[in-house]
Amino acid sequence: MNKLSTLHDAVASIPPGSHVALPGFAIARCAMAFAHEVIRQGINHLTLSQCVGAMDADILVGAGMADRLIYGGGSLDRFGRLSAVNRGIETGTLAAEEYSSLSVTFRYLAGSLGLPFIPIRSLQGSDLLRNLKERHPDDVAAITDPFTGEEWLALKPLLPDVAVALVSAADEEGNAQIDGPRWDNLEQARASKRTIVLAHKIISTEEVRQHPDRTVIPGFLVSHVVHVPFAAHPCSLFKAYDYDADHIRLYAEAAQNPESMQAYLDTYVFGVPDHAAYLAKVGGEELKQRISADPQRGY
Amino acid sequence: MTTDYSPSELMAVAGARELKDGQIVAVGLGLPVVASFLAKQTHAPNMTILFELGVVDPEPIDSGVGLADPRVWYRAKVHSSFVDILGTVLHKGRVDVGFLGGLEVDQFGNLNTTLVGDPRGKFKHMVGSGGANDIASCANKTVIIIRHEARKLKETISFVTSPGYISGGSARADLKMRGGPERVITDKAIFGFHPETKRMQLLSIHPGNTLDDVLNTMGFKPEICGNIPYTEPPTQEQLRLIREQIDPTRMYMG
Repeated sequence: MNKLSTLHDAVASIPPGSHVALPGFAIARCAMAFAHEVIRQGINHLTLSQCVGAMDADILVGAGMADRLIYGGGSLDRFGRLSAVNRGIETGTLAAEEYSSLSVTFRYLAGSLGLPFIPIRSLQGSDLLRNLKERHPDDVAAITDPFTGEEWLALKPLLPDVAVALVSAADEEGNAQIDGPRWDNLEQARASKRTIVLAHKIISTEEVRQHPDRTVIPGFLVSHVVHVPFAAHPCSLFKAYDYDADHIRLYAEAAQNPESMQAYLDTYVFGVPDHAAYLAKVGGEELKQRISADPQRGY
Repeated sequence: MTTDYSPSELMAVAGARELKDGQIVAVGLGLPVVASFLAKQTHAPNMTILFELGVVDPEPIDSGVGLADPRVWYRAKVHSSFVDILGTVLHKGRVDVGFLGGLEVDQFGNLNTTLVGDPRGKFKHMVGSGGANDIASCANKTVIIIRHEARKLKETISFVTSPGYISGGSARADLKMRGGPERVITDKAIFGFHPETKRMQLLSIHPGNTLDDVLNTMGFKPEICGNIPYTEPPTQEQLRLIREQIDPTRMYMG
């Protein structure tokens, strides 16, 4: 089945208030083109989740699209903090449910396996757990191992309405290949009701069949396949393009207060109709040349 | 022979000394990267280096801005996932040593990477856990690398992101948690933990510092037993590897 779609239509399929699992890790494989389109369409009151907070979550929070974030902490690596997320936490406008990387991963894993809960060794004895017990008592519980009688901490599965996957290549059915490490993206897709795939390259189903071991997200999980080259800009996609350090710096600076954040959004999100126009604005062909990855090194 | 070296270089070398050949080591970016690559290129060639997002044994030729930088994934033996690395290796109990850093550490080795200020009042939110809490909870031991300043080595910290010995004594064991911090390496000294109280215990002082230098720049008095030796300085070969091969652009050493 051909699920090729425009980014506009794929994003428009998400109702306000949905729980969206985002694919980014700090400044790698962030769904920036997706986030921009969500902001343009004004799809708000979202719950966002990801194991390590990344630039895709930060811009959505900064644009006022998210009420809630379930994550394991995060940053823009050396480029700075997640300023919009942190401001939301500090001022109380964002309900952040804060875990560790593995505890969010385990919640997706439980969701992906259809398990009612998952025991974990992490979080014990920390203020992360103290906060979760106080503020989100429905998501953590003490259980007894039925075999040994030992006490364990159990987490509730995460079941997002939609996962967004930013992938190296996919066919029109959504069978997707990801070059490089995949952090939580495979469990996100399997835990979610459906997945929207943003592919740097569209390949034939024949090519998928020739390398079935490369398929990490099967097409039957996927509702929309969107061909979006450079969809992670200014973040990187391994073996396709490097991060754009200058533009990440520009964002990190802008995100530090609401006024400059709004000015950034006015220029780079509301000021362009779509991702192609955004790419033209941030450097066009010269940019694509500059950040294109050496296939040997991957960056 | 005396050799010029920076406090960061001594910290990296001290970190490398904590690693043994054949071990599996979970690493975050910064000094731990230098420490683990140094160990691997000297006394621990069969050590395995893990990055939480799904990277095993990379051989970077360029410095990276963080774990999300593909520069530090170069020539890895495995590219996989959190479930693979943090789950089937760390949570399973196969990680021998995890490196941790932080904004603040207390006398029991509890670490804060979440916020500065009053968590119930005005505070500034920082990075949070990432894999740090998982490493602190699940590794068979951890090594903490942190700057030696009174605002970082504190009697009590604003937020426990990653537990050490919690309230000390048997508190960690009572929660059936494995591991715990074994060393705290600062730019002035190296600490272990007292076997009973689980409070930080001074083990050695870096050359060029006095006991007063160490004690006057920390927020609590550590356990001190007997005469405290000086930390062994880096060798010429260790310094050469750090400066010429591991961190030539001084990205990690500052």
